[in-house]
Amino acid sequence: MASVAEVKAAVNAALQQVSEGQAAIQAAREKLGEAQQSLAAALDGSGNDAVSSAHASLSQADQSLEECLGATSLAVEQAQTYTATL
Amino acid sequence: MSLIQDLGAQLRATSDELPTGLVTVAMEKLRGATEILMWVRETSQDPMGVPQLGNATEAAERAAAAIRVAQDAIAAYLAAIGLTGDAAAPPDRDWKAGLEQRPEVRPEGGDDSPPADRLGPWWQARVAQLTGEPAPKDDSDQAAPGGQAKPGGDTADLLRRVASGVRSGDKAKVGRDLHSADAATGLALSAMTSPVLHRLAGDLLGHEPRPDDFERLRSASAGRVRSLLPGTSPAVLETLLARICRVPVQNEPDRPAGHPADNAVTAGVLTGVLLARLGRDASSLDPNAPDPLRRPEAADAR
Repeated sequence: MASVAEVKAAVNAALQQVSEGQAAIQAAREKLGEAQQSLAAALDGSGNDAVSSAHASLSQADQSLEECLGATSLAVEQAQTYTATL
Repeated sequence: MSLIQDLGAQLRATSDELPTGLVTVAMEKLRGATEILMWVRETSQDPMGVPQLGNATEAAERAAAAIRVAQDAIAAYLAAIGLTGDAAAPPDRDWKAGLEQRPEVRPEGGDDSPPADRLGPWWQARVAQLTGEPAPKDDSDQAAPGGQAKPGGDTADLLRRVASGVRSGDKAKVGRDLHSADAATGLALSAMTSPVLHRLAGDLLGHEPRPDDFERLRSASAGRVRSLLPGTSPAVLETLLARICRVPVQNEPDRPAGHPADNAVTAGVLTGVLLARLGRDASSLDPNAPDPLRRPEAADAR
């Protein structure tokens, strides 16, 4: 039979995975930032449509990762609020 | 190297280093967390963060898609400036991204939460049910070759040990290795194996897994998975294979959430089965091991 401690431990195991996911997202955002700088330096002055598309896509990716982080924080908050009521 | 060659090399390096692997790792971690919470909250009306995790996973999927579009745009640019040879797709390194050691992270505000090792009996009971191998009586009996899972959890090491047991057909060793892991380390097998399974299945088939490969993969793996995990439901393996083959999943609202250990354990064993089918050792899952060459066609997947 499950105990409160076991339920809390299970939620904590899930939150551990969320934290690892958040760490991966943060690392990905740093890499994206470096790639954006590298592209901007290499392609400065280009009017090619593909270059504009690459810049726009990287910005879009960064924005999506920011949204992802925000959603994970809300999820963590909600899970912790629940376990606090147990 | 000419100026244009130098520019092409810089752009190719930038494209290759885009963090597709990290985003894949994040998506799988979030899916793993969702799976655990879905099981915990079953029948509870409290959402417990599950919808937010769904939103987070979708956002990560959008980011991954945007990164691929950026890579395509860079490839198109390289082709436009006459560097078609440089516009080839980068080597697929994402599948091993989850196997790399990362600095240990702690859950936000989780200091006062019970550690996941409180779930030890829960994990071991399920492993015993799935494998048919009882939990060792004391800690000294649990140590598999290579020792127990490291404190804080080394899921990649656990995966290699399980795969090694599967390769040698040693059901008892598979059971011992799974029992020796703490719950958090074991549950993380779900997230870690997803891209690995996709890659191994592709290597076995000789092409990217497609929905019509489902039956081939099932016939190539089901018997061995069943013999090593007599207590697992066929539906767990079928769900894993459907994900590998990108078969659309039917939503069954009345179907109860599966036990998260079932998915993790079955995914770990399936990884070993596919490796054995490919004639590869568990050491090939080492992130530093050279990438095996893809075979043009695979007769043994039939």
